[in-house]
Amino acid sequence: MGNFFSSMFDRLWGVNKEMRILILGLDGAGKTTILYRLQIGEVVTTKPTIGFNVETLVYKNLKLNVWDLGGQTSIRPYWRCYYSNTAAVIFVVDSTDKDRMLTASKELHMMLQEEELQDAALLVFANKQDQPGALSASEVSKQLSLVELKDRSWSIVASSAIKGEGISEGLDWLIDVVREEQL
Amino acid sequence: MSTHTYKKFEEAESGVLPDKMTIYQDCLNAFNESPVNSKRCRLLISRLLQLLAQGETFPKTEATALFFAVSKLFQHPNDSLRQVVYLAIKELSAVSDDILMATSSIMKDVQNGSDMIKPNAIRSLTRVLDESTAFSAERLFKSGVVSKHPSISSAALVSSYHLLPVAESTVKRYSNETQEAVSDLKTFPYQDGLSEHYPNSTYISQYHALGLLFMLKHHDKIALMKLVQQFSSGNTLKNQLAQVQLVKLVGSLLAKDPQLVSQFGPLLLGWLSNKYESVQLEDAKLITSLPDRYVSPEIFASAVQTLQSLLAVPRVTTRFAAVRVLNKISMIAPEKIVICNPELESLINDSNRNVSTYAITALLKTGTSNNIASLIKTITNFIHEISDDFKIIIIDAVRTMALKFPEEWKHILNFLVNVLKQGEGGFQFKNSIVEALFDLVQFVPQSKEVALENLCDFIEDCEYNEILVRILHLLGKEGPSMKTPSLYVRHIYNRVVLENSIVRSAAVVALSKFALVKNDPTLVESIEILLRRISNDADDEVRDRATIALEFIESIKSNGESDPSPAEDLIQSKYTYDLASLESKLSQYMSAKQESFKKPFDASSISRYTEDERKAIDLKKKQEQMFSKVPTGKSKGKSTVSSDAEKRNGTYAGPGSDEMDQDLQSAKFAEELGSIDDFKSFGAIVNTSKDVPLTETEAEFVVTGVKHLFKNHVVLQFHITNTLTDVALDNVSVGCSPATSGDDCPLSEVATIAADRIKPSETFATYVAFEKSEEVVTEDLLNTLYFTTRELDPSTHEPFDGDEGFQDEYEIDSLPLTAGDYIKGSFVGNFSACFDELPNHEVSVYNIRENIPLQEVVDKVVVNTSCLTFDNTQFVSTDSNTHTLKLYGKSVLNGARVALVVRMIKSSKGIALKVEGRSDDPTLCSDVVNEII
Repeated sequence: MGNFFSSMFDRLWGVNKEMRILILGLDGAGKTTILYRLQIGEVVTTKPTIGFNVETLVYKNLKLNVWDLGGQTSIRPYWRCYYSNTAAVIFVVDSTDKDRMLTASKELHMMLQEEELQDAALLVFANKQDQPGALSASEVSKQLSLVELKDRSWSIVASSAIKGEGISEGLDWLIDVVREEQL
Repeated sequence: MSTHTYKKFEEAESGVLPDKMTIYQDCLNAFNESPVNSKRCRLLISRLLQLLAQGETFPKTEATALFFAVSKLFQHPNDSLRQVVYLAIKELSAVSDDILMATSSIMKDVQNGSDMIKPNAIRSLTRVLDESTAFSAERLFKSGVVSKHPSISSAALVSSYHLLPVAESTVKRYSNETQEAVSDLKTFPYQDGLSEHYPNSTYISQYHALGLLFMLKHHDKIALMKLVQQFSSGNTLKNQLAQVQLVKLVGSLLAKDPQLVSQFGPLLLGWLSNKYESVQLEDAKLITSLPDRYVSPEIFASAVQTLQSLLAVPRVTTRFAAVRVLNKISMIAPEKIVICNPELESLINDSNRNVSTYAITALLKTGTSNNIASLIKTITNFIHEISDDFKIIIIDAVRTMALKFPEEWKHILNFLVNVLKQGEGGFQFKNSIVEALFDLVQFVPQSKEVALENLCDFIEDCEYNEILVRILHLLGKEGPSMKTPSLYVRHIYNRVVLENSIVRSAAVVALSKFALVKNDPTLVESIEILLRRISNDADDEVRDRATIALEFIESIKSNGESDPSPAEDLIQSKYTYDLASLESKLSQYMSAKQESFKKPFDASSISRYTEDERKAIDLKKKQEQMFSKVPTGKSKGKSTVSSDAEKRNGTYAGPGSDEMDQDLQSAKFAEELGSIDDFKSFGAIVNTSKDVPLTETEAEFVVTGVKHLFKNHVVLQFHITNTLTDVALDNVSVGCSPATSGDDCPLSEVATIAADRIKPSETFATYVAFEKSEEVVTEDLLNTLYFTTRELDPSTHEPFDGDEGFQDEYEIDSLPLTAGDYIKGSFVGNFSACFDELPNHEVSVYNIRENIPLQEVVDKVVVNTSCLTFDNTQFVSTDSNTHTLKLYGKSVLNGARVALVVRMIKSSKGIALKVEGRSDDPTLCSDVVNEII
């Protein structure tokens, strides 16, 4: 009996609904730092992720299942193993790394073509804004040719994981979009 | 709801699994679900594990899919789910691809997980790491090893064993922490709730740490000595297994250098009265397996005493282990354990059959002719209750006893015949009985008649072709010289009528031998009639053999008494070849190049033995077997020199397994050399020496050398192993310079072949060839290793670009070409007669001013001369100061015989040697005599 009520409340508040979010991007873009900034609100020292990190966090009454996949060339092919049931993708770009913008763009568009990600929302973080010489969000957007994306809710936010700027703004947008689509 | 879950559990416990594909599908679906149902996933994984444990496997793609699905369960924080996830990862990582994807997640748990899952996480971490990722886990392992929690520390230590072959350098980097872990007594953090009866920890991590340390340092003698010193003193090691491990460690040190026994003496003695039985046992085993001459009789006696007291303990496993060690000793030195006889006798009726079997076999060895009868009676009573393996052990013991006490043959024969006729037991068992009967027939002539009759009875009802054929052969050999040959003919002919073609053809050969019986003309006629009848047999082989036998008999008859026909030799051969050398010569002939096939194979160079000689050799071999059965463990315990001596020993006693190995090795070398163009013109190899080490085994570059003698050339082959981890060696060659320089030098270098690159832990061969005259040429060759070192990039394992490397050289031991290289040991029936008849005589005297045991000198002489020892003179009795060594061999160039008598006297000033040599060849004689040490 108790179970029944609690599950009814859960449905009302949407707490028990888990949402899968992937954090992707090239190596060294700051994915793991963003993940732990979200979970514990602190900057942790990280080393290159071999494989993935997964954390569950509650954000605005919503249970998020956040997967941070390693960005090294050798690990990128395995991203696709984790695409199914994904509600949203967070793509992290190192705004100072102008040389690899093209690579990032290619990886992004290749990923979005996947069948399993057709309904997923996309949030791009133009990260490392605290560093000198970082491209602005609109410049990054141009480099990644985001405007070409059709039939997808997307947004780009300038962020700094180290300083904690832009992260919650981006996530707020994402939650709104996803909640709208799912309910 | 509750009934529902109840049923589910019942289903899981019943042990019946759904089929493989259902489990596979269920797993994929459940693991990919969101949110994860942890209970159901646990159940499914346990099913999956059960499936894998039953030996089922998945194809690579499916296993990989499962692996990825399982890795998704990392999102669930439940500890008990995580534990089974680790088990699944551990199992799947063996069959799946791309296992590195789990690395980060596992590392996180190792770092921040709860104590409950940390050990599991560490264990599965080793499975997913490879050489390139291992270094990033170094810190995790280090903190695991130093953890105060015994389970975590043990997990990290044991996992490091598995990491060693993958990334040795990583494990080496925390050897200091490992060392600390040995002396650190770790207890479980949960104090309350445990009663006083249960110790708070077994300190098992000490054992694991000690094991890892040993693996890391097993090359480094000094470090190991330090370890023993550090951990044997005081009360550092609490764990029983760790103490046993320490004993084993001392054992491995002693195996490399038996001289250390005196240093470890007090330690070994102390362990004999250790509070743990297992430590006592291990120690006693170690002491009794050491070479005699290094162990003082007092220590040996106290080890036996300890074993004796262990025979009476209530624990069966201890009794078993003790009686097994005693049994081993009984094979080499039965007189040393006679004091245990009362205990052993009381163990004959032990409720555990394995214990009683060993007790009896030990008693059989220590037994005297008085109690044999009663012992055999006891065995007869219980032999049917034990397994075949133990039966064979007993039969072997009875067999050696038969050779030791030939006068007791009646009891022994009766016993053997009885067990043979009981009809139970497999081939191995029957074969060992028949083997024992064969020995009786050969070496105990009084028993011949009865034994043969019983074998005749046995073949009337025997299902094993191999045994039948052997018995028929024996009957053919022995039968014609017995009192009533016709009796055997009847039995043999029965086989022709009743058996399959393999047995029939063996029977035909046996029958034909009876045609040579001189005193019974009717028998010859009947044989002929029988053979004619057989020549209509349905089988080709049987017919052919019968026809050819008839031909032989005809030709013998027509030649008459006065002029024996050569066919007689063919029916009943007078001699056999030395099979080992026949085999090696044949394989050399086969491995040589095409041209040599133009000449037929020359069998005359192989030594032949007459019947008596062969028997003598056989008997010697059998006796040696009695003493050397143990030595699988024992020979390891001896220094290399003495095991070389054993090898030699083996040659004239028949082909020991070592000898076989060496033959195989020289055949392999012959093939390798044959494939090198530069050496093709040299012809066939005349002799190949043993592979001798030219550096310490712990050196950075380990070099061993082999000498190959050709008719006009000599080729030195060097095997170079690079033991460094991060340096490659380029253009490696060995420079050989003869000690005599200028025109006097009998050798001139004709070719050198270098190795291009030797990467870490690789071995390559380089060659140097010299031209020499056909005569015996002896020369000391000084060797230097030349090479260019190039540092390797740790990520690619290729040399850095642009690194020129730098040239270096390294002095290694010299590899002298000695007279011994021209000699191959051989057998002679009567040594002293042969010695006296040889024409050339040479005498030389040596003085050795070092205080070394005589045995060491003997070993060295035997190795240097490559001769065989005679009359058991290779063993020096421990309490004597004088010794006479007899050696015999033949030149590989011209077959000239060499016999040596070396007399030695040991005094306080050193050792004096007088060498007397005789030979067909004067140069060889003087060369050998003058280079004996």
